[in-house]
Amino acid sequence: MEKQIMHTFFYPHPATTVWDYLTRPELMAEWLMKNDFEPTVGHAFTFRTSPVEKLAFDGIIYCTVLDLVPYKKLVYSWKTGPGDGKIVIDSIVTWTLHEKQQGTELLLEHTGIKEADFDMYTSLNAGWQKNIKKINELINTSKNAQTKTE
Amino acid sequence: MPKQKLSKSSSARGGGSSLPQRREEKKQSVGKVQIMDAFQVIAVPGRRQMLALLYKKSLTINALAENFDMSRPAVSKHVKILYSAGFISIQDIGRERHCILRQDGFRQLQEWINYFDGFWQNKLGKLEKLLNEKKSANN
Repeated sequence: MEKQIMHTFFYPHPATTVWDYLTRPELMAEWLMKNDFEPTVGHAFTFRTSPVEKLAFDGIIYCTVLDLVPYKKLVYSWKTGPGDGKIVIDSIVTWTLHEKQQGTELLLEHTGIKEADFDMYTSLNAGWQKNIKKINELINTSKNAQTKTE
Repeated sequence: MPKQKLSKSSSARGGGSSLPQRREEKKQSVGKVQIMDAFQVIAVPGRRQMLALLYKKSLTINALAENFDMSRPAVSKHVKILYSAGFISIQDIGRERHCILRQDGFRQLQEWINYFDGFWQNKLGKLEKLLNEKKSANN
C-alpha cells in the first residue's frame, strides 16, 4: 500500500529545539548517526552506520542538503550502495516541522528510489493474480495464432 | 480459471543469440550476487523504463526494443540483466520470446523500504526519549 516511508512524531518541545537535533552534527549523532552535516544547501555529507549486506548497503549514506528553511523544513538526498562509493539506491529524506501550542509535530518522508518503482511494486502485489491470468490468456491465444499479441 | 504451469521449455535457437539461457537451478546458488543485481537493475533508468512497460503488459523482446533508441544487443543485454535479477521471466510462446514481469526482483526493493521504515521508527523514538530526558533535566 505504501509507496514511501512516512512517520509523524510529536515532541513536546519548541521547533527550535527539534531543529537543533536535526541540524547540529553532535546532536544528530546522539540519536541518529555519526555524520559531517552542515546546514547549508549543497553541502555533501555522509552518515555512518552498520552495513546490511543483503540490502547491498555498506553502512555509508551519501547525502547532499537539497533544501533548508530554518525551523520549518530540511531536505537531503539519501543514497546507499554496496561499497566503493557505488550508488544503487537514490532516495530523498524530507523533514517538516509544524510548531503547535504544546510542542512540535515532526513529519518525516523518505521517498525511496523513484515513485514509479514503488507504484509498480505495490500494484504487483495487488495485481499479481490478474497478471497470471493475463499470461495464461496469452499462452492460450498463442496456441493457434502466431500473430503478435500487442 | 485454468491453472497453467509456466513452461520453462526453450525452443532450440540458433547461435548468436545473446539471450539468457534457462538456468533456474544456478540462480538459487548465487543468492548474494543476485541481490546486488536487484538494486543495480533499478539504478539504471532504461531498465526502469523496461519494467514500467512490462508492468503494463508482457512484450516480446522485439516489441520491447521498439520502445528504445538503443541497439538490439544493448536491449538484449538489459533483458538478460532483468532476467538474472529475477525481475522478469522469458518465455517462448509460439515463435516469439516474451518478457513477463516477475515479483522476485521487487521483493528486494521492498526489503530495503521495510528496513529503513523500521530504522526511522526506531530513531525517532530514540529522539523522543532524548528530548524527554533533556526536559526533565532542565525542570
